Formats: sequence, C-alpha cells, structure tokens
Amino acid sequence: MTALLVAPLAPVVAGLALVVADRGRRPVSRHTAYAVALAAALVALLASVLVVRDRPVLDRQWVPQIGMRLHLAVDGISVPLLLMTAAVGVLVVVHARHEEPEGGTPATFFGCLLLVIGGGIATFLVQDAISFFLAFEVVLVPMWVLIGRFGDARDPRERARAANTFVLYTVLGSTLMLVGILTMTFAAGTSDLAGIAAHRLPPGEQTAVAAILLLGLGIKVPMWPLHSWLPRAHTIAPTAGSMLLAAVLLKMGTYGVLRLVIAPLPQGVERLAPYVGTLAVIGILWGGLVCLVERNLKRLVAWSSVAHMGFVLLGLMSGTEIGIQAALYANIAHGVISALLFAVVGGLKHRWGGDDLQVVRRSLRDVSPRLSIVLVIGFTASMGLPGLAGFWGEVLAIFGAWTPGGDRSTVWFRVLAAVASIGAVVAAGYALRVLRTVWQGAAEGGTPPVAEPDGDARGGEWVVTAVLGAAAVALGVAPIVLLHATSGAVAHLMAVTGR
Amino acid sequence: MRLSYHWMLLAPVLIPAGGSVLLLLLDALLPRLGRTHWLIAAGLLLAGAASCVPGLLVSAGTSRGTLCLADGSCLYVLDRIGVGLQLTALVSGGVIALLAFPIRVPAERAAVQATLVLAATSGAAGVVAARDLGSWLVMLELATLPAIALVALRARTAAVDGALALLTTSLVSFAITVMGVALWFAATGSAFFTGAAVLHAAQSPDTHRILVLAVVFIVAGLAFKLSLAPFHAWTPEAFGGASAPVAGFLAVTSKVAALAALLVIFRGVIALGTSALVAIGVLAAFSMTLGNLMALRERSALRFLAWSTVSQAGWVVLPLAAVSARADRSAALYLVVYAVATLVAFVVVTALAHADGREHATQLASYGGLLRRRPLLALALTLALLTLMGLPPAVIGLVAKVAAIGPVAGGRLWALAIVAAINAMLGVAVYLRWLRLLFGARQEPERAGALHPVHRGLVIVGAGALVVFSVVPQSLLQIVGR
Repeated sequence: MTALLVAPLAPVVAGLALVVADRGRRPVSRHTAYAVALAAALVALLASVLVVRDRPVLDRQWVPQIGMRLHLAVDGISVPLLLMTAAVGVLVVVHARHEEPEGGTPATFFGCLLLVIGGGIATFLVQDAISFFLAFEVVLVPMWVLIGRFGDARDPRERARAANTFVLYTVLGSTLMLVGILTMTFAAGTSDLAGIAAHRLPPGEQTAVAAILLLGLGIKVPMWPLHSWLPRAHTIAPTAGSMLLAAVLLKMGTYGVLRLVIAPLPQGVERLAPYVGTLAVIGILWGGLVCLVERNLKRLVAWSSVAHMGFVLLGLMSGTEIGIQAALYANIAHGVISALLFAVVGGLKHRWGGDDLQVVRRSLRDVSPRLSIVLVIGFTASMGLPGLAGFWGEVLAIFGAWTPGGDRSTVWFRVLAAVASIGAVVAAGYALRVLRTVWQGAAEGGTPPVAEPDGDARGGEWVVTAVLGAAAVALGVAPIVLLHATSGAVAHLMAVTGR
Repeated sequence: MRLSYHWMLLAPVLIPAGGSVLLLLLDALLPRLGRTHWLIAAGLLLAGAASCVPGLLVSAGTSRGTLCLADGSCLYVLDRIGVGLQLTALVSGGVIALLAFPIRVPAERAAVQATLVLAATSGAAGVVAARDLGSWLVMLELATLPAIALVALRARTAAVDGALALLTTSLVSFAITVMGVALWFAATGSAFFTGAAVLHAAQSPDTHRILVLAVVFIVAGLAFKLSLAPFHAWTPEAFGGASAPVAGFLAVTSKVAALAALLVIFRGVIALGTSALVAIGVLAAFSMTLGNLMALRERSALRFLAWSTVSQAGWVVLPLAAVSARADRSAALYLVVYAVATLVAFVVVTALAHADGREHATQLASYGGLLRRRPLLALALTLALLTLMGLPPAVIGLVAKVAAIGPVAGGRLWALAIVAAINAMLGVAVYLRWLRLLFGARQEPERAGALHPVHRGLVIVGAGALVVFSVVPQSLLQIVGR
C-alpha cells in the first residue's frame, strides 16, 4: 500500500526539495544533488518492483469538487511501462551524473529529472481519469526547464523556441484530452477508468469524443502530422532529457490511447481506425524518409521515433489482440532502444562538439570500441533485426493489421500493412547509413587508428549504455516474457470492448 | 410591512458598510490619523470575513434567508456558494487595504480611499445575497462606483484617464443593466430573481421573448463589470492608470461582485434553458482569446495583468454557458482560485513597486532575473503564474481548469470546449513570457529599497497559501461547498 504512494512521491518530493533548496543562499552541491536524486530514483524503482509483486490497490476520496479520486493500482498493461519508467529513471540519473549540461545548477537539473520520472510513474499508476490528466501535466514544467535551460548551449534562441514549442503543443494536447475525459466522466458519473470503460456512449458521440482524444493524445504520441515539436525538442534537449522524453513521455501518449480511447470507445475507434491507421503509416514512411537524408544525428534518432511510434499506433488501431500486444511490446522496445540511442548519440555529440553526419570523422569502432558496440546494437535493434527488441513489435503490428478486427476494412488495412513493411525496409536503410558513416567511418583504409585516451565510454556512461543494450538484446531473444505479462490484461480488454 | 432580521447573516455586509461611516467620523475627529485608516479598514474587512466563517459550517445544500416578507420570500438569501464569494470579497478587500497601508499618500486622502474600499467591498458582499431587483442594482453599483474614485484619486494624468474610461463604461453598463432589469420586471411582473417567476414568464411566448431580451441586456451590462470582451475596453486603461493595490482591487474584489451578480441572475435563468446562455458562451470564447492575444504583446506589468483578467474572466463564465446544475459552483470555484492567484501577483507587483519604484515595477522587463535578485518575490510570482496557467506544481490551478471545462464538456459544447483548449495553450504562452523573465538575465533598478515588512508578510502568506492549496486542494475548494 505504501509502495503505491512511495513510487511516484519519492521522486516528486525529492525533486521539489532539490529545486527549492537550490533557491536558498547557498546552492546545493553537485554531490548532494546526485546522491539525493539517485537515492530517490532507486527508492522509486524498489517501490515499483514491490507494487508489481504485491499488486496493492489504493482507492480514496481526493478532490470531490471535481470528482478526482486517489485510485492507484496496476494491471498487466501498466506493469511493463511502470517498471521501464522506474528503471530508465535510475539509468537517466546515473547518466546525468556523467554528463551534466551547463545552463543552471546541478540541483535544479537533477530536481527536474526527478519530477519528470515521478510524473511518469504516477501516470502509469493512477486508475482515475482526472488524476491521469494531473500526472500528465506534472512533467510539463520540469521538461520545459530541462529543454529551455539545460539544452544545447550553442543556440539560446533555438533553445527557447524548442522548449516553448514542446510545452505549447503538449498543453494543447492534454487540454483536448481533458475535454474528452470530462465528457466521458460526466456521462458515466465516475472518473474511474474502469467505470468509464464500462459505460458506453452512443456511437455518434463515441466518434466525436474519440476524435478529440486522439487529436490530443496524438500530439503527445506523436502522430503525424502533429509531430513537429518532437524533432526540435530532441535536438536541443540534454541527453538525459532526450532519454526521458523518448522512454517516458511518448509512452504516456500511447498508454493514454489504450486506456482512454480504445477501452471506453470501441465503436468510435472502429470508425476512426482507418484514418488514424493511415496517419500512422504516413508517419512511418515520413519519419523513415527524413532519416535517410537527415544530417543531424540526434535529430535523426528523433525522426526514427516518429516512425516507430507509427507502428505502435498501427497496432493499436488494428483492433486485434495481437495488434494491441504488439503495440505494448513496441512501446517498451522503443523506450529501451531510443533511450540507448539517445545516450550513445548524446555522448557522441558531446565528444564531437556537434553531431553533423557530413563531417568526416575517424571510425567509431577504432576510437571508442565500447560505444561502437552499443551503437550497433541500438541501430540494428531500431531497424528491426530479428533477435533484437525492435523486431517483434513491428512484425506483430504488421501481422495484426493484416487481419484487422471488428468491421474494419480488411483491404485497406492490408494496404497499410504493406506500406508499413516498406517503412521497415526504409528503417534498415537509414540505420545502415548511420552505421556506415559513424561506425565504419569515412576514413576507409586511411591513417592507422591512434588510441585516444578519453574517447571511450567509461563509468556511468558505460554502465547505462551496457544495461540498455543488454535489455534490447534480452527483449529480442525472449519476447515471450513480456508478451506473457501483458496477454491477460489485453485479453480482458478485448473481451470488455467486444461487448 | 414587517421584516425579520438575522443580524449574523447580514454582518458580512453591515460590518464594512458601518465601518466606512465610522472611518469618516474618525477622520473628522482625529484628522491626523493618516495611513492608520488602512489598518482599521483591513481589520474591519477581516472581521467581516470572520463573520462569514459560521456560514461555512452549514451543510452545502441549504440556503438561509433574512429580511423576509410576510409571504415567505426573502430579500437576502445566502447559500453555500454565496458564503464563499462573500468570504473571497472580504478577504481580498482586507489584503488590498493591507497592501495600500505602507504606500505614502497625502494624509487626508488615506481616509477617503479606505472608506471607498470599505464601501465597495460591502457592495460586493451584498450583491451576492441580494434577491430582489432593487437591492441587487444598488449593491452592484455600490461595488462599482467607489472603484472609479479609487482609480482617480492617484491624481496622475494616466489615473484620471483610466478613471474616465471606467466612469463612462460604468454609466453605460448601468444604463444597460437597468434597462434589462426593467424588462425583467415587465416580463415576470415580479421584483425577485426567482426561478418560479421565470417559469411563469416563459409560458407565454411574448413574455418569454421579453425575458430573453432582459437576460441579454443584463448579461451585457455585467460583462462590462466582468471585463468580458467586447466590453473590456476600460480594463487596461484603468489598470495601467491606477495604483497597484487599486488595480488589484479592480481585478479581484470587483470581479467577485460582478460574478456574484451574474450568478443571482443565472440561478433564475437556468429554468429558461439554453437560448439565453449561448450569449455567455460567445462572450467567454471571445474574451479569453482576445485577452490572451493582447497579453502576448503587452510590455507593462499592470496592463499585462489587465489583459490576463480579461481572459480569465472568460474562463470564469465559461461553465455558465452549459445548462448544468453544477455550473454555478464551477464558476465560483474558478473565480476563487483566480482571486487567490491574482491577488498574490498583485501583492508581488505592489511590493516591488514600493521597494524599487513604480516606474521599475510596472515594466515587465524589470522582472528579469528576479529569482536571483529577490527570490521570495520571484517564488511567489512563479506560483501565482503557474496557478493562472493551471499547470502543476500549482495543482490548484489545474483543478480550477478541470472545474471550468467540466460543465462545458459534460454539456457536449464541443466548439466551446475546443476554443477553451486552445486558450489553455495560449494562456500558457502568455504567462510563460513573464515566467521566463524571472529566470533570465538580471535587471537592476535605479534605486533598490528594502521590502516593507507588511508587504513581505503578505508575500509569504500568499505564497504559503498557494502551496497549501496545491497540496490540499479541498482546503480552498470547500468554501464554495462540495
């Protein structure tokens, strides 16, 4: 029971304490800030593990005036996301110690990281739609600070623009989501997620509410053409911020689609699925094609996120059990892979002093063998090589779309599945392009490599990237563990929506 | 005609009203009292607020009346929302009086100003409970007219300009409101704002039409007082010209009075159905959009807060666009949260104006690097702006946003809800402009003085209140009932 409260509150309280203490006469020292942040992240991870093991439930009155309850619990759908958020949280803190950006004091930086982690954990724990909105909003201001103050130091103007674009897009998205939530809450007379899912609106209204919700959540996911904040934010954000953005914030969007759209509004989703599926597939192709020509390495990884989230959306829209399973799987896989890629690419950008792919550099496998290994793992996983994390989510999503559920047009979804497979081929293209330029290097057969003393990943950076790389391999080798964890909850969801 | 009196119920109105007479007497007897008048006024207003507290213990559904006629209809009815609004008006009046206390003005002017604040606050507290046409109009004007003099008494060209703008619009709005009230009487044949009278009038198509017209007139008249666009034009002028505490009074206490007056009408009109309420929805949408767009370009702090008031007024009346039993409570709830946050913002602006000079504090650019220069003020202002944005960590602002959108979404007013969502985004852009400055490069004033202890105390109390309300939202929300 306490673990349910500790998991989100430990990072949030520690984060707020760090930010406030930093405003005092003497700023908090680097070591104290790191120690507090690491302790809070570890406590949150431990509490999350306990929650997953014991499955406690907490349900209390909270703010009756707006019908908000304090209802915390987990099920098969939220367990993997919760664990991933908590685990990535610890890794991000460790990585942030290794690479602290300029622009502000360490305590504020770690404090903001903790607030984002706490908000993410809270999102996956709450079972009440209005507190879900609250948890959604918790991450906004700290993320704005992370991008706006701790982002790329070279371009203050672009930094402010990226931070503002991020926060404005997301606020619009979450307020639209709030409109949808409140409509369902008023109709159902409860804000409980299960209660909302049990109450069916008339089909016409379902379509309207689903459209508003998908518009709002589509910004967060992000869904093409609402994605334009993402490459900008990722390019500017500090490495730790990018990792959180990719591994936690985007997952909140897809999780919201599952909980707030697919579960309570099955008929509305069925009406909108061909359109949303089409947008998802456009996103897959669009992201892939941009990646083929993008010069900026960090932005390239961000664009690949747009493509990967397209697969998640396609799986969600297929209306089949396997499609939703695939979406959940791809969600986790993308979280791990993109966190890994941003950690590596952020490190490279830091070393190179820029991340332009056109600049001729020595091959990474010579300069930094460790980094080059994790880079290879990251990009091959990203292109969906069998045996690595990215493969299962994409293949199963295409498989789900091939035989769509409900009244969805089989022909159209098969077309979508076919185009999505082309997107997967494009992904192989851009992944190999990056590996050829970075891993192999432009200096083929040129000067013999000279060992550079500080070139390779050490300490925290090596631990973080190695753990994430191992996770990407593990997910790919034994996908059944994760699929098994989610299958019960997904089967239940399908049974409920099938009524 | 026999009337029954319930003094305890009337106390929130009578204490400030009697207090304003008392202050004038005191000024005649002891002419050198000067700024002490402000302290007395603050004491009286807070005493009036304390007299509201027993009303908070009454269970939510009941309403208590006094000044009742023989046939059982009462001229003064107070329900749970009314108690909350009275409390808000009186506390905000008291804070304004305390804010004004340290500011040096000619000795003879302090007494007059304090009297005016007391009178206007008593009008605000009275209009909440007024249930008949006559006292409703009188109380509404009592809440408005002293504010004009308050703006003018700063005696600068800008202040007189602002007061003139306020005076003209007040007269126009008074005329429109009186016209509406007359139509109301013509339609219903009743001098009360009751649902029964409305239902009676709605039965015949002719009187129904007149009644709708009456409501439109009254809403338009009140829109002036609430500074809803397109009736907002006086707001930036008056705010920019007035002294900072008086601008705070216009932004908070006057708005409480105007919304309370609107709610009195609303409770009657809800029996009428949607037709008359569409007007409120249009005003709300227009107001929040215009207020936000103008605030995006504003460079003066007081005028920025004026535009913020325009857009927030839109949010306040937003729930009233939906026919819902909870709409009035949602509007009151939003107003209370707005009042606390705006008051804190004005406390910070006043404190800074007193310490660093008005010229400095009224420029938005002067807030650059305030976080390092004056961390206390910057922290309080950050919390206030986050509350107005409705983003955590200021959870209370988020709760208010949920409450405001709730009835609209529940009533399936999709277009209005989407306009509100877009304005939530614009609002964030607006307040982020100011917020970013606080973290930015430092701007030194020409002369930097120390904060007055009273101001410092108010800043601490205000910031503390926002923190407490964010951690335990019910502590604030329960004053308008559940």
